[in-house]
Amino acid sequence: METETVVFSLLLLPFLSALVTLLCFRKLGNIASLLSVATSGGILVFSLFLIFNGENEVFSWQTTWLRMSNWELGFGFLIDAPARLLLFVVSFVGFLIHIFSLGYMADDGAKARYFGGLSVFMFSMIGITIADNLIMIFVFWELVGFSSYLLIAHYFTTEEAAQASKKAFIVNRVGDFGFLIGIVLTYWTAGTVNLVELADLVDFDPTIVSTVLGLALACGFIGKSAQFPLHIWLPDAMAGPTPVSALIHAATMVAAGIYLLVRIDFMFTEQVLAFFGILGAGMGLYAGFCALVQRDIKKILAYSTLSQLGYMTAAFGLGMPGIALFHLMTHAFFKALMFLGSGSVIHACHHEQDIFKYGGLRKKMPVTALTFLVGVLAISGVNFLSGYFSKDAILLTAYNTNMPIFLILYVGAILTALYMFRLYFITFEGESRSESASSAHENGALMTGPLILLAILSIFGGYHSLFPLAIVEPLLPDIELVAAMPNHMWMIVLGTFAWVVGGITARNLYGRVGEADPLEQKTPVFFALCQSKLFFDQIYGFYVQRIQDPCARFFEVMELLFISGLMVRGSAGVAGLLALIGKAFYVGKIHSYSFWFVAGTIGFLAYAAGVFGN
Amino acid sequence: MTTDQILLLGSIAVPAFVSIILFSGLGRSESFVKNLALVGFGFPFIAGIVLFLNFDGSKGGYCFEIFHPRMGLQELKITFHLGLNGVSSPLFAMAGVVGLAAGLTAIHSGADRLRLFLALLLTMQAGLMGLFASVDLFFYYLFHEFALIPTFIMIGLWGGRDRRSIALEITIYLTLGALISLGGLVALNVMVDAEKFDFPSLSSALSQFALAESTQFKIFGLLLFGFGILVALFPFHTWAAKGYECAPTSVSMLHAGVLKKFGLYGLIQIAAPLLPEGALAWSPYLLWLALGNIIFVGAVAIAQKNLKSMVGYGSVMHMGYCFLGIAVCSSLGAGSGVMLMVAHGLSVSLMFLLSTYVYKRSGTFEMDEMGGLGTKTPILACFFVAASLATIGLPGFGNFWGEFGVFLSLGQNPDHHFFLYLAALGIIISAIFGLRAVARIFYGGSSDELLEHEKKNPITDLSFSEILPAGVILSALLFLGLWPRGISDRIDQEINSRYSQLSSEQSMSLPPCCLLDKGDLENNQSLSIPLEKIPSSKPSAEK
Repeated sequence: METETVVFSLLLLPFLSALVTLLCFRKLGNIASLLSVATSGGILVFSLFLIFNGENEVFSWQTTWLRMSNWELGFGFLIDAPARLLLFVVSFVGFLIHIFSLGYMADDGAKARYFGGLSVFMFSMIGITIADNLIMIFVFWELVGFSSYLLIAHYFTTEEAAQASKKAFIVNRVGDFGFLIGIVLTYWTAGTVNLVELADLVDFDPTIVSTVLGLALACGFIGKSAQFPLHIWLPDAMAGPTPVSALIHAATMVAAGIYLLVRIDFMFTEQVLAFFGILGAGMGLYAGFCALVQRDIKKILAYSTLSQLGYMTAAFGLGMPGIALFHLMTHAFFKALMFLGSGSVIHACHHEQDIFKYGGLRKKMPVTALTFLVGVLAISGVNFLSGYFSKDAILLTAYNTNMPIFLILYVGAILTALYMFRLYFITFEGESRSESASSAHENGALMTGPLILLAILSIFGGYHSLFPLAIVEPLLPDIELVAAMPNHMWMIVLGTFAWVVGGITARNLYGRVGEADPLEQKTPVFFALCQSKLFFDQIYGFYVQRIQDPCARFFEVMELLFISGLMVRGSAGVAGLLALIGKAFYVGKIHSYSFWFVAGTIGFLAYAAGVFGN
Repeated sequence: MTTDQILLLGSIAVPAFVSIILFSGLGRSESFVKNLALVGFGFPFIAGIVLFLNFDGSKGGYCFEIFHPRMGLQELKITFHLGLNGVSSPLFAMAGVVGLAAGLTAIHSGADRLRLFLALLLTMQAGLMGLFASVDLFFYYLFHEFALIPTFIMIGLWGGRDRRSIALEITIYLTLGALISLGGLVALNVMVDAEKFDFPSLSSALSQFALAESTQFKIFGLLLFGFGILVALFPFHTWAAKGYECAPTSVSMLHAGVLKKFGLYGLIQIAAPLLPEGALAWSPYLLWLALGNIIFVGAVAIAQKNLKSMVGYGSVMHMGYCFLGIAVCSSLGAGSGVMLMVAHGLSVSLMFLLSTYVYKRSGTFEMDEMGGLGTKTPILACFFVAASLATIGLPGFGNFWGEFGVFLSLGQNPDHHFFLYLAALGIIISAIFGLRAVARIFYGGSSDELLEHEKKNPITDLSFSEILPAGVILSALLFLGLWPRGISDRIDQEINSRYSQLSSEQSMSLPPCCLLDKGDLENNQSLSIPLEKIPSSKPSAEK
């Protein structure tokens, strides 16, 4: 088979699947769901074919999509090492989540819409992965935003989902605003937006790159990966179905921001990289504190995602794009695992999401509990699990190159273990604290199967040598760099210390809890501070209600008053006034007319005689 | 005559002929009237699509030309000359598509005095098809009037609240705009010593004897403000939202979707390429006014609580991008402007159509009195979400390419970067009002008013006769989004040949406002250009 045929099939398959679902299977949810799962299976097969058939070469293919004046936009594919890695993550994790969805959404009334949306997502995510130029990336970038909007709004009858979907799309658009400007400026500075040509050009003439340009392009990443200050949409996005949170808002779409950075890493100056380092480390710490005080199981995982994305950003900022991708991969495994685990719990507990209403679920749902524990251990960086390798690589890099960032990230690592073990202890240990938790049962194989597979990957995902070279190729150079760094032993001690401290503290604090958060009782001020999330949601609300909407109304009044009122009505008024004056002469009396006739004649004669001057 | 030429002529003649039959009162049965009207709208649609597919842009210039020197006034250089070029061909097809959708809507609207309504709408349709098919500028203007005048009558007779006063305001406003642009066209006819009154002759005459820069400035000013009023250029836009809110749906669709493109078409096809120096001199002012469309009108759209007026303001806002494309004075900007015109015509008429569908179910246009329609009317919700996202420029629909191209063209000249940053804010603004409308109408729970209304009027989803027009427009939008080359290649070829002069002007990169002196301004007042409406601050070309 020709490679471009495969690439086209890979892209068209989910698109056609969504189209067919929309046109034919709108009311046949079961067929739609099977079609979508089959599609994701097909995607997996095509992806694996591409990964292993490429013989580690770069595949590129191009045709013209649009030509206008001197601007020629290509529709092309670039399948290089990073693209292969992301293809693997997207298609593999995506496939497992599709299967999980079969179980999770079994009783949903709008299955066709849900699975159609998933196919749209797979289409646009694959588009981002293999696009070969910035404008094409932007196109699919917006489309993943659209599918995310669609899927967050799945339960659109609830006010929460209605608001969250809108917020997610608009906040992402704010990021895309900068991204768009960045692309336009890139085009006019470099004359191309093709990734390969750009890389060559920058290599040839580094002055093309500027800090402003880099920051503008980074806006897209900040929006999509929910980094400060556009992070506010991600926790709200948890209003969508849980498998969606796992696929879009944890494993793949939010990670696409990091992937974008890796794709265009040559476009960033030292200053921008330093900015990424601080941004990522700050996000890692901030989101960790936020996660510590949440009661909603999905919100905890959402903040944890923010925090882990911060780690990837920091790794990229420290000049290790390979390590960022490494963490992206392992994170996709263990975070998808935990989100699906939480989905399993939510499904079993009749859509209860408050962790303080759970408790004792380990005995009732052993597979979910065990696999979830694997995820907790992996993200906390317990030695020799997947998270340990990727996170400690980031920490070690920071330790050797940038001490302040290391300190922030290290505190973040302790926090990670703390809030993750907190989640585990409160949910799965102790006694059931509600009706729904005590009547919970383990879910069927459709849901536990993906959990087990992801748990295996979360355990072994850090051993890059276990993976085929075609997948992990982009990680190797940076992993070798890290391996050559000093202070390895010291890092192992520090890393172990971090999760042990976090775990033991969590055990002491949350080992036996009631319906209230023990942290709130012990340190109410600290708890309240964390819960405020530094007031970003309030600032956002304040902006919308006190600035944006009043501004819009002010403009409306201005228009009514000045343009519509003064200019249009005003000029109509002048005409009307003239008419009134004119009308006053027509009084219908003959002597009045003769008076004006005489006056007019005298005036005319006077003019003719030159009385008014020539 | 070849088949293609017959189709071209027929696309004007058939609706006009049908409209005459309807006016004359032949045939009593209602089904006869409806079927005949369907023929009247169907023929331009088929002709539009066939001619779109048969268009051969390889040679450039006009295809399917029909030329009758005897028809017209040869003393005034006016001749009957029809044909399609790369710019008019997609617009012609778009007019056919929107016309069919508007016609289907009108046929099923159940308006009283349906025969008269359809007859007027068909007159409008004939005018619209003729407008884009005209090569001769006099006929171009004449066909526009044919389409414009039924609008006034239809708003006055079938309009909503306050229809009399709004019809009057719209009439005065648009007649004024048409008059000013007619002044500009007459000036072109008189000042340029060309054999015929069409673009190719004018252009070749001007290439030998170019008009003085001050003359160009005046004529372009007349055309800009005349056409600008017709396209709702800020601050002459207040008629638009009000008018569309009041007008019957099919009239809103045809007017906002197609007729409003008359002005932009005139500016892009005729004014800017013929009067390049005039265009350059006006560019700094136009940039600001276009920003007014995007930011000011966009903000007003956010504040709207009435669905139809929000759609109206939204459509005015997006016109700002087309104006930006013109103001940039480059072939990239103008070409993208044309792409946006085509897509905008489709998306705006779709939005008006869907708003009416919503109205039929909720009994109101007030968005606060709706809510939760998504569960009751899933197909309508699906169409509405798609149309809203198309309007706000989601890739995959045609509008994206036009908007993106305009942004790209703004990046070319560093002087325009300031406008790029502000204009790009529009993608956030339109997302805010578009998605708010979706959430208010379809998401959440139903409002008390809607529940009350539903008791008496059960809510049903779209019927087939409603899906058909919406589906036709949406498919066209998707086609443009997925395969932009379907129209961009021919647009590009035509625009490139017309703008070659303008681009070379720009490479000199003279700050255009230096070319302005006080004398010009004073002369202009005598030409009664409303200069006080131009922002007095120095334009940013010197920024």
